[in-house]
Amino acid sequence: MKKGLTKDLILNHGSDVLGYGGVLLCVILFGILSQGRLFNAYNLRILIQAACVYAILSMGAIFIYSMGYMDISVGAQLGVYSIMLILISNKTGSLLLAFGAVLAISLVCGLINGYVAVMLGLPSIVTSIFLMSIFGGIQVIAMEKIGINSISIEANMDLFADVKFMIFVIAVIAIISVYLFRFTQLGEYVKSIGANETATEYAGISTTKWKVIAYIFFGICVAVAAFMLTARSGAAGKGTGTGYAMDIMVALLLGGMPLSGGMKAKISSSLIGAFTYVILSNGLTLAGVSVEVGYVIKALVFLAVILITCRKKDGVLPR
Amino acid sequence: MSEVVLEIMGMSKNFGPVVALKDVALKICRGQVHGLVGENGSGKSTITSIAAGMQPATSGEMLFMGKPWKPASMIEAQHNGLSMILQEANTIPGCTVAENLFAGKENEYSRFGFVNNRKMNADADALLDRFGISYMRGKDPIDQYGFEDRKLIEIARAVNEDTEILIVDETTTALSMEGRDILYKIVEDMVKRDKAVIFISHDMDEIMEKCTILTVLRDGEIRGTVTSEEIGQLNSIGMIRQLMVGRDIGNKFYRSDYDPSCSDEVVLEFTNVSGPNVKDFSLKLHKGEIVGIGGLSGCGMHDIGRMAFGMEEIDRGSIKCRGKEVESAKDAVEKGIGYISKNRDTEAVILQGPIENNIVLPSLKDISKAGFVSPKKRKQLADEQIKLLKIKCNKSRQWVNTLSGGNKQKVSFAKWIAKGSDIVIMDCPTRGVDIGVKQSMYSLIDQMKHEGKAILMISEEMSELIGMSDRLIVMKDFKISKEFIRSAELSEADVIEYMI
Repeated sequence: MKKGLTKDLILNHGSDVLGYGGVLLCVILFGILSQGRLFNAYNLRILIQAACVYAILSMGAIFIYSMGYMDISVGAQLGVYSIMLILISNKTGSLLLAFGAVLAISLVCGLINGYVAVMLGLPSIVTSIFLMSIFGGIQVIAMEKIGINSISIEANMDLFADVKFMIFVIAVIAIISVYLFRFTQLGEYVKSIGANETATEYAGISTTKWKVIAYIFFGICVAVAAFMLTARSGAAGKGTGTGYAMDIMVALLLGGMPLSGGMKAKISSSLIGAFTYVILSNGLTLAGVSVEVGYVIKALVFLAVILITCRKKDGVLPR
Repeated sequence: MSEVVLEIMGMSKNFGPVVALKDVALKICRGQVHGLVGENGSGKSTITSIAAGMQPATSGEMLFMGKPWKPASMIEAQHNGLSMILQEANTIPGCTVAENLFAGKENEYSRFGFVNNRKMNADADALLDRFGISYMRGKDPIDQYGFEDRKLIEIARAVNEDTEILIVDETTTALSMEGRDILYKIVEDMVKRDKAVIFISHDMDEIMEKCTILTVLRDGEIRGTVTSEEIGQLNSIGMIRQLMVGRDIGNKFYRSDYDPSCSDEVVLEFTNVSGPNVKDFSLKLHKGEIVGIGGLSGCGMHDIGRMAFGMEEIDRGSIKCRGKEVESAKDAVEKGIGYISKNRDTEAVILQGPIENNIVLPSLKDISKAGFVSPKKRKQLADEQIKLLKIKCNKSRQWVNTLSGGNKQKVSFAKWIAKGSDIVIMDCPTRGVDIGVKQSMYSLIDQMKHEGKAILMISEEMSELIGMSDRLIVMKDFKISKEFIRSAELSEADVIEYMI
């Protein structure tokens, strides 16, 4: 019976085992490799600062990935929002106004990804490629217009760059997203759409409406993430935000999120994934691995996770 | 007794704590059409899927043509002469018919990495001709054909000269009349060439007509074998049913009354509705009435259901629910209409999800308070339905894809009962469902009628239409050709006359 229990655990909770196991493995492995430096107060602060943006983004992204969709415009959006935040707050002196403007634009992007994609009959990945290109372009043009490599924020961001505040923001977003995901129609519907969109529609649910709502929540998370990113670095440039879209995807996978979406999606995947990813990057550096080799190792880890989670074992082929 | 081609000895299969097969022993002989019958979940498909290499047995051995048999995959099984036609669709979209027929065999047609399409298409045409399906051609894209035709392509792909055993797993439910004839011809041809066929079907008439030997299964065990002499006997169907269900199910299969009365209140009204597959359709559905719609596949009856549920555009006319037009599926559900699709696995249930989530899906809005859905309320709602419909499962969190066909269909019903929909449109409500579940579905439908629900039952099964309907609408060429009122005298022959 005990053997059956283990088997059941792996079969039904494979992604959980992978997620929790992965983060545990990273902690132990790099804890040893870095001779305990992974856990010192200074490094923990760095970990949380780095994980903050990933965690916020991926908690929003879960709602999109649950539907079986992807978004690759996040990185470019982050870059532009960060520049906008700095420009507007420097000009007007009001951080709140700057954040409001960014929030408004991120909501419009959510509408484009959700509503416009459905209206035009496009897969959301197409509109997100479109947004990525537009925002990428705007970011470069804006920086060239300004004429310097990076701009710094004048407002005092010490409060927001504080680790305690970051933990607070992660916690707030986590509570909101867990609530939405587990106890509301939104969470149930995004999972249903990912598992079987047709059947969801046949149950009398307006899939378009809920898609838009999911994208809007994601948009809010992107805006908050952009704010936290700016608070942390205090500056923005041409390269701000680069790579975030793919990093989020990797983080979610590491957290045990199936890329096809559906009922196995969980918010915990995003938190675990974000921290695993950050510990992996940070641990490699602490262990003295060069940045270049670090990329290769991360690629191998990525491949291994894909092989474990996404391989189809029961493919039925003709002949 | 002719030569044994496949012998199964002491085969068991467990899925976790669930026992699917218990020490099954079976001999398949040459020149026989060996029928496997039993309720959903009795283990028929489990036996054949193990023999065809889809999954391994937990214990037990098999001998195929005298040699130990343990195929690792369906491909290996097929290479060695054991082919299986599956219940589910299994063609590759986006390819041509020929590419589907010769999938995995492209090497035989390619030189320097280029596939000789002309030769492949010609061979495909020859193959299709041999099976008598000449209206399909190798170069055609597969997507232009419907489900029934694609099934035929799968059959053509599965059967070849070297096939020793052909397993037909409930394929006929997915086929049209013509398609069935083609399949029967293949089966007869296999028998003539002294090969063997394993035949699984829920259609008892078909089983009695085509099979030369029957094995009855219940709860993963063999409960009896019926030989060809016994099959011919008068009361054999009753005997087999009793073996399958384990009790005498008696005569009360459909409704016992012949009272077609219902309320005067019209709940759903079609007025001169026309669309691509429907012409000038008018119908008034009353509260507490069961209206059956029958016809040949392609007569437009399935479109009627989809239109009433707002899933298909109408060109002319109107469909009104209590005087108000139905605009979309969402609107239909809000007006109290429920729809049970005939494509259960793709449209009616979420296979990759728990029973609970499936059942509560349409009702979430009703049980949520200011956006909050109480987990306790959800579970309660689902558990009520599981109990009411006797859905066989371990817990409400169990995934639907682990359920048998009949229980999946019960989940599909449960959605609308939980929602409290008072107009239920059922498209082929008992397709692929065994008699035990069928019987409980019929008594459920009867009960719904007495609760004042209006039911539109679209079906390809004549006997259930006659057995259940207050009014029976027959459709032919997109139009209503006849309307019958419930009576004891109505026979299948009367109805068929207006179908063709």
